[in-house]
Amino acid sequence: MSQLLDQDSAFFDLARRRNVLFYHKGYFSHNIVAAMGEVVKLQLEVAGVSAPTRRKLFSSFVELSQNIVHYSSDALKAGGETAGAIREGAVCISKDGEHHVMLCVNPMATAEVENLRNKLEPLRNMSLEEIRQAYKLSLRSDTPEDSKGAGLGFLTMARDASAPLEFAFHPRADDPGTTLFCLMAKI
Amino acid sequence: MDNLYIAATTTSPEVDFRFDQHALSLKGESYPENAAAFYAPVIEQMRKYLAENAGAVITIDVALTYFNSSSTKMLFSMFDALDQAGQSGSRVLMNWYHDEEDETIAEFGEELKADFGAIEFTDRPIIYQGR
Repeated sequence: MSQLLDQDSAFFDLARRRNVLFYHKGYFSHNIVAAMGEVVKLQLEVAGVSAPTRRKLFSSFVELSQNIVHYSSDALKAGGETAGAIREGAVCISKDGEHHVMLCVNPMATAEVENLRNKLEPLRNMSLEEIRQAYKLSLRSDTPEDSKGAGLGFLTMARDASAPLEFAFHPRADDPGTTLFCLMAKI
Repeated sequence: MDNLYIAATTTSPEVDFRFDQHALSLKGESYPENAAAFYAPVIEQMRKYLAENAGAVITIDVALTYFNSSSTKMLFSMFDALDQAGQSGSRVLMNWYHDEEDETIAEFGEELKADFGAIEFTDRPIIYQGR
């Protein structure tokens, strides 16, 4: 056993120290999102997390994972009319004191970074009331052309989070055309 | 026209539109992979029904326990179509069911009520025993 775990024990130790409830790295399909959602929901219920917090966590989990399915630049399969997309990324839910931390990472085209930054940056300086107003506005406006969802996803997460969304972009040293996008929501 | 029934899946709601009885119902969770692809045909059928049944008294029961952001957008346009029918002479009664503790869904109901004046909106919080 110890020999088997030797090389990977650092990974498991770290996961334990960081109170990781759930972690998935690899390819995401819609079926995987649905299956993970089922487990995440049950896990939070068994852990005794209050119903409103559970709902917020589940909602953020769905928005983040569907973002990966739709927008990650590393596609195993792009998806079309009949078959769904499968794309690469990672989602991690951990517990940090009183809060839950939801982190997602996925590769994206470096050329798109500024565009995404311009969407996320304003949310950081908005009050909860301003976020709610922006949400209402976005609900009633037309879907942006570059969005497969409603353009409402980030606002939904910002509304449910207990602190401003944090994000970072890490260009890949070995592949400057690709940047790792990290988004963190504290709930 | 034919009634429309779509069974629920883990990520999409049950759609039970009994056009012959003017009774529409949506029930379950909604986070399909492609919300536009799921809802577009449903909304299209509904629009056709509304156009052919001007002046009807229509009841829509909505009991959705969760909907993601892209479903939210599609639901809003579905209810917009009902509101338009209400403005042109139909009577639209909406029952909005939700867990009494679910603020998000209660608030979305408030938004609908504020925006769609031609829908007679009834908030129906569900109180669960033993909590």
